[in-house]
Amino acid sequence: MTLVDRRLITHFDWALAGFAMALFAVGVVNLYSASGFRMEEGITLTSFYRKQLYWGMIGLGGMIAFLVFDYRHLRMLAWPLFVATVLALVATLLWGKTIMGARRWLDLGLFNFQSSEFAKISLLILAAKLLSRDQGKLGWSQLLILGAIGLVPALLVIKQPDLGSAVTLLLILGGMAMFRGIRGSVLKVAALLVPAALPLGWHLLHDYQRQRILGFLDPGNDPLGAGYHIIQSQIAVGSGQLWGRGFLEGTQSQLRFLPEKHTDFALAVFGEEWGFIGCLVLLILISLFLLSIIRTAAEAKDGFGCYLAVGIFFYFFWQILINIGMVLGLMPVVGIPLPLISYGGTSTMTSFCLIGLVLNISMRRFFFKK
Amino acid sequence: MHLNRDAESHQSSKSGLLFLQLLVLGIFVVFTLRFWYLQLHRGQEFADRAENNRIRQQQVYAPRGLIRDRNGLLLAMNEPAYALAIVREDSRDIPAALRRISDWLDMDLDLLQETFEKGRPRIRRFEPQILVHSLSFEQLATIEANTVTWPELKIVTKPRRFYPQGLLLAHVIGYVAEANEQEMIADPELTLGDSVGKKGIEFTMERTLRGSKGLRQVDVDVAGRQLGTTLLIPPEAGGDVRLSIDLELQEFVDQALGEHVGSVIVMEADTGQVLALVSKPAFDNNMFVSGLSHADWALLRDNPAHPLQNRAIQSAYPPGSVFKLVIAGAALTHRIAAPTDRVFCSGGLRLGNRLFRCWQRSGHGWMDMNQGLVQSCDVYFYTLGDKLGVDRMHPHSVESGFGVRTGIDLPHESMGLVPSRDWKRRRFNEPWHGGENLNMSIGQGYMLTTPLQVARYTAALINGGRLLKPQLLADASPDILGELPLQAGYREFLVQTMVNTVEESRGTARRIAKPGVRLGAKTGTAQVVRLMSEFERADLKDIPYHFRDHAWMNSFGQRDGRSYVITAMVEHGGGGGSTAGPIIKSIYDYLFSDPLPPLEMDEARDPG
Repeated sequence: MTLVDRRLITHFDWALAGFAMALFAVGVVNLYSASGFRMEEGITLTSFYRKQLYWGMIGLGGMIAFLVFDYRHLRMLAWPLFVATVLALVATLLWGKTIMGARRWLDLGLFNFQSSEFAKISLLILAAKLLSRDQGKLGWSQLLILGAIGLVPALLVIKQPDLGSAVTLLLILGGMAMFRGIRGSVLKVAALLVPAALPLGWHLLHDYQRQRILGFLDPGNDPLGAGYHIIQSQIAVGSGQLWGRGFLEGTQSQLRFLPEKHTDFALAVFGEEWGFIGCLVLLILISLFLLSIIRTAAEAKDGFGCYLAVGIFFYFFWQILINIGMVLGLMPVVGIPLPLISYGGTSTMTSFCLIGLVLNISMRRFFFKK
Repeated sequence: MHLNRDAESHQSSKSGLLFLQLLVLGIFVVFTLRFWYLQLHRGQEFADRAENNRIRQQQVYAPRGLIRDRNGLLLAMNEPAYALAIVREDSRDIPAALRRISDWLDMDLDLLQETFEKGRPRIRRFEPQILVHSLSFEQLATIEANTVTWPELKIVTKPRRFYPQGLLLAHVIGYVAEANEQEMIADPELTLGDSVGKKGIEFTMERTLRGSKGLRQVDVDVAGRQLGTTLLIPPEAGGDVRLSIDLELQEFVDQALGEHVGSVIVMEADTGQVLALVSKPAFDNNMFVSGLSHADWALLRDNPAHPLQNRAIQSAYPPGSVFKLVIAGAALTHRIAAPTDRVFCSGGLRLGNRLFRCWQRSGHGWMDMNQGLVQSCDVYFYTLGDKLGVDRMHPHSVESGFGVRTGIDLPHESMGLVPSRDWKRRRFNEPWHGGENLNMSIGQGYMLTTPLQVARYTAALINGGRLLKPQLLADASPDILGELPLQAGYREFLVQTMVNTVEESRGTARRIAKPGVRLGAKTGTAQVVRLMSEFERADLKDIPYHFRDHAWMNSFGQRDGRSYVITAMVEHGGGGGSTAGPIIKSIYDYLFSDPLPPLEMDEARDPG
């Protein structure tokens, strides 16, 4: 087996890479607008769009790093990576940097490392390894093993506290399990267990997390408090109407009525300035991006590659679902960014690395051809 | 090779892939519908709300109209003042903000909280609520330096009223103060923190002076910081008011009255223009403008001399002998007595078993109407009063302007009181007694008049019988409210007796005589205590202040077509002629003072 095969180039999934780059470009342009503050005194703040560009370049490096090696080596690294993840999460809880009351970042000197993102990658690699070992619908024992490896990092992440990441971790695992298929008998019991677990979960939540859920259910109850984000976000998106207010013209975002507009609510800025047409184009782009990942999963010739692609699909899918749902007022406010669109170093890097992994799988599908 | 371990056996699950594709289709459809709902179905509504989010409307205070005297001198003006306001919606922690203010301005926190809670229900969203008026420059600097950290605190520029003359015209001008709950309910134009005229001209001319507030559109960011403003409705300044008052004369009269408690009115007889209106003691109306403290208010309210009372129009006194003119007029009109009919005064008149005394115990001897007025003989008027009876004295008095308001443009004017049979039955459920006719005929008993009513009556005697509205606005034309119920001949007779009172050696007002000026007067000494016997003949200074008589004098002075009425009333001042006389004389000296003729001086200096 030669290290550099011409087929590696010919099988490169230009479409997926193109959709990803297009989304990232939209994100940077949108951040340019979200970074602007129209103020009397003209205070200039750190321009997020520029920092995001730097992150994108680092991300591209990560993407290339994730496609040069044969992804199948990861199967052997799955357990060591997972153990390293758990250790990193514990370290974060013990020595992590506290930003806005949450201990989510490990200071690695050059940059602050958000360990929960690392957890998502290692968890989906381990899950892909476990799921590809056998076939058929999942039974109790397999589900319990999956649940156990999911709950350990999830509980550590909840302690940070970062409910959004913890939920995403479990949802990625759940999505992969659903893709494999779950036995009917197990599903029936699970259907009964989930409602029973809800009150328990409510009990575990922090006060501000409960406020957000209540704020989502009844935003008008406290328009300047818990419901504020939801109302302001819907006003921003809604006021875009058909064609949008135009680039840099959104009053909601420019005048800072919109909170977290460069991170979790970046889409609201986009909706305000580009309108329904812009949002429709963005949705199509996102859908094509996701469908490209699915195609990679479909064409993968080994189970590990297939499950890896499915796990990465769910990594993007759940975050897109939760973030857009939140911006559109369909879901409670959870701190989850829109991949490639929202500002965020770790999130951008993780996204590019995972896209690199998908490209890796897609490039090497010919290894199994006759 | 181990990397290819499961390659041969792997078959991607078809149903799993379909499941993934359905998920993508699902979010595409759901989110597209949601975008359609928010941006197209409800887009306009959200666009409107976005506008409201960043645009706030603010009131722009209109400068209140100026008040000047008849010569254009400023009596009420506006000066810039700064108030501290809070915008609730911009505050994350209102109690903390209030604590800061209390610290900075060294104010009582409880009082601040009370102000805030009281105003709260009347303030619209995003409207600055004024907490502290009239900030000093030091306070202003402290707050300005901290508005970045406390964006909810705003400095509101609001013109503040200032009365340069203070005490001198407080009773005429009155004052403005913050509108209270009832005023805001009655007048929807008023909002919390607005100043409104409470007393005096400020109250009666409120409509003219107020102007109308403007509206400013303010673009703000989420912290409430202003980004730009547009004037939507320019404020309309209030109209100026020019008073009939002559400031220099007012000052002179004020000094002439000195430390006496009482009032003096100087009026133009032909127009009703009030040139001076002094009531003492007075108060400083500037105290009310930025809110009177409880202690200051208690001090004013409980002052036994009642400085807030405008004695010229709000206090009603027994008119005493001043009223004899009215009785004489009634007797002439009803032909009870001719001017030449004589009555013998022996020092008293017996009615039934009661003796009604003349102030002159030794008696005046034979009195005709002229002498009865000039010497103010009580017995002469007892006789008239007995013959006239209350049923004729009452309507004549009312038609002469007593017992009714004069209509001056000042609030809370007293009506005074002219008793009648009906009134006594309603008030005391008692019939009218014959002796009460006698009391009424000399302006005692139940009779009460305000100094302004007396001034207006006197003006009517010399202006052709017209009862004018006492006019405080320089530009208003004379307002005739009635006619004296007197034939011209009788009226002229009464005027002549007033002149005689000044000019005859036995006249009670002889001390005000001034060569070259036609002066007429009638004095009055109104008894405060019915039974004065224990103080009779005692020296004024030996009588306790509150038992001393009120001193009245009403007068007119005419020369070269100018014609003035001056009425003075000194509370517990003793004899009308002796106390009120010198005050009035000095005012006529001022009014008719002749500047040295410049021509003669030139000739004297230039003999060549």
